[in-house]
Amino acid sequence: MAASLPVAGLAQAADDPGNGDGPEASAAADHQQGAHVGPDVVAPGERGELDALLIPPPALTAEPGRVRHYEIVAMDRDIEVAKGVFFPAWTYNGTVPGPVMRATEGDILEVEFSNAGSHPHTIHFHGIHPANMDGVFEIVEPGESFTYRFPARPYGMQLYHCHAPPLKKHIHKGLYGAFIIDPPTPRPPAKELVMVMNGFDTDGDGENNFYAVNGKAFYYAKFPIRVRRSELVRIYLANLTEFDLINSFHLHGDFFRYYRTGSTDQFEYTDTIMQCQGERGIIEIDFANTGLFMFHAHQSEFAELGWMGFFDVVDE
Amino acid sequence: MTTDAAALQRWTWGLRLSVLLPVLLLLGAAALVSSTNGSLTSLVGANPPPADELEIRRATFHANEISVLVRNPQRDAITIASVTVDDAIVPFTVDGPKRLGRLRSATINIPFTWVEDDPYSIGVTSSSGIQSTIEVPAAFEAPAPSRATFTGYALIGFLVGIVPVVLGMMWLPALRRADPRWLAAFMALTAGLLTFLAIDAFAEALELQASLPSALGGPGLIVLGVAVSYLGLSWTAHRLTKGTPTGDGVAPLAGVGLATMIAVGVGLHNLGEGLAIGSSFALGEVALGSVLVTGFMVHNVSEGLGIVAPVAEGKRRVSSLRLAALALVAGGPVILGAWIGGFITNEILGVFFFAIAVGAALEVVVEVGRYIARRAAGGLTSGAVVGGFLAGLAIMYTTSLLVG
Repeated sequence: MAASLPVAGLAQAADDPGNGDGPEASAAADHQQGAHVGPDVVAPGERGELDALLIPPPALTAEPGRVRHYEIVAMDRDIEVAKGVFFPAWTYNGTVPGPVMRATEGDILEVEFSNAGSHPHTIHFHGIHPANMDGVFEIVEPGESFTYRFPARPYGMQLYHCHAPPLKKHIHKGLYGAFIIDPPTPRPPAKELVMVMNGFDTDGDGENNFYAVNGKAFYYAKFPIRVRRSELVRIYLANLTEFDLINSFHLHGDFFRYYRTGSTDQFEYTDTIMQCQGERGIIEIDFANTGLFMFHAHQSEFAELGWMGFFDVVDE
Repeated sequence: MTTDAAALQRWTWGLRLSVLLPVLLLLGAAALVSSTNGSLTSLVGANPPPADELEIRRATFHANEISVLVRNPQRDAITIASVTVDDAIVPFTVDGPKRLGRLRSATINIPFTWVEDDPYSIGVTSSSGIQSTIEVPAAFEAPAPSRATFTGYALIGFLVGIVPVVLGMMWLPALRRADPRWLAAFMALTAGLLTFLAIDAFAEALELQASLPSALGGPGLIVLGVAVSYLGLSWTAHRLTKGTPTGDGVAPLAGVGLATMIAVGVGLHNLGEGLAIGSSFALGEVALGSVLVTGFMVHNVSEGLGIVAPVAEGKRRVSSLRLAALALVAGGPVILGAWIGGFITNEILGVFFFAIAVGAALEVVVEVGRYIARRAAGGLTSGAVVGGFLAGLAIMYTTSLLVG
């Protein structure tokens, strides 16, 4: 049964020719505004280059008291944040965001931090830990080092970032990363991904010029993330965008469960969530359909300045 | 003669070499300094990092496309990395390499379905992330060079340049019967209006050079333009009067000769006027309505009067062909200027043209002044001359309000 919707100021429209967004229509759109997806998208980086940031190390079964050792080095590095645009970043281990750290609740997290950068830095972890391990008071000068050691808890999607003053500078320069604490009872098996939403103010005017997940504008539009329809997709999502009050995640063509912070089993069923800076959570998607599904910030400006990507959902 | 010959003979090879020696030593010293690769200047401090900010000269809108003209205003090369329209990254092409050397320009073409009359903010980001932005208050289709616009500029130039000059020249029969004191007053009026035109062109040249990167040396360009036209016209005026036999030195230019000089001075100014009209129209800065065209016509009528004033005094008849040629010399450049301004964007050329107009107008003021001083009763300080000069300034100022 066809419902007729009112159209202001117009007589009954002519017969709808059918799906307007056929292949021809999208080809025309590509001609006008450039490619949306695939190798013609203008984005920095090579295929697979961001895998270490996208795919977390595997979860280990609970073994209270086990030591999880990580080595983190702060270093200054020019990184390509959009095609041809280089940003003089402050990094953990050379990438923005820094490497994904992972522990199971009850593990002892041991992070050997050395500062090879030109400014004093720290690592401040979100989670439960003693005050002297908080990355606020023990400023690590260039050339010096410090070892953080504390039990990892509570489980959930945590994060880490530099807390040396001025805080705004040290965060927007790129000193942050994802820190996953797994629950004692393992989560159901899934294709696991990490996405850290970030922005880059390349001309120092206090406004971001480019936005991304995992540091490269439009990277996942050029190289869509391939997932299987039969497999649960779990995204550990965090927002480390400086200057803007919030950032958001919107999935096309499907809904997901969103566990805010991921430290309880409470979730919301939706297709759009927002996070303020430092907020994070876990997204679980059971894709209903195959095909290319866009995901992006639902602040259109962020999406059009680089924070946009695609899932390529396939049947095996 | 013998001493001259002896002096010539002393131009030995050794002497010639000694003339070249400072040049050779200078080249050597310059090469030495540049070979130190900045270690000399580092003794007194470090150079600040380059701004890496591209200068956006203009944005024009065409069917499904936006064109942005950019220039690298600094010494170090800049690479165009990213382009945004209203804070959205858009695909683009550059008509040449994306890396621009010192003072090099390039056109960026952006495929874009823009909306008529909407404001747009267009950003160009260099590889070091520095963004320059141009705000377009309202998008409109840029006039493409066509036979119609070519004819249009010619027609506007004809109306604004030639028609008023011819109208002004039609006062010639009346001027011939005028009292000598009135003639002197009209000559002074010519000097007054040329003074106004010189100041006007100088202001235009200064304003335009301020928009240039400092490396292009706008002030020097103005000095050069003024000097070239002033001295060039002085030299020409001297040649024109050489045939006139006078007892004491160079006689002041008079009659058709002076009229020609005035026509040249007015014409060079009108070239700049045409340039301003053409480029303003092409950039959409001026709604070139009938009011503006009428305003320019009224403004330029007095120029025709100024040209024929020195002819009126002469006893000889001047052929209408010669008068037509004078009108063409004075008014025709508006057409030429409108074409150049409408189809080519070149601020350097604009500054130079305006500077030439300044020098030309000043030189003709001097010629007219010399003429009045010699021929007019009471010289430069008579009431008729002072009144005429002030009237010339006042007329130009008042009519300029019509086009302001």
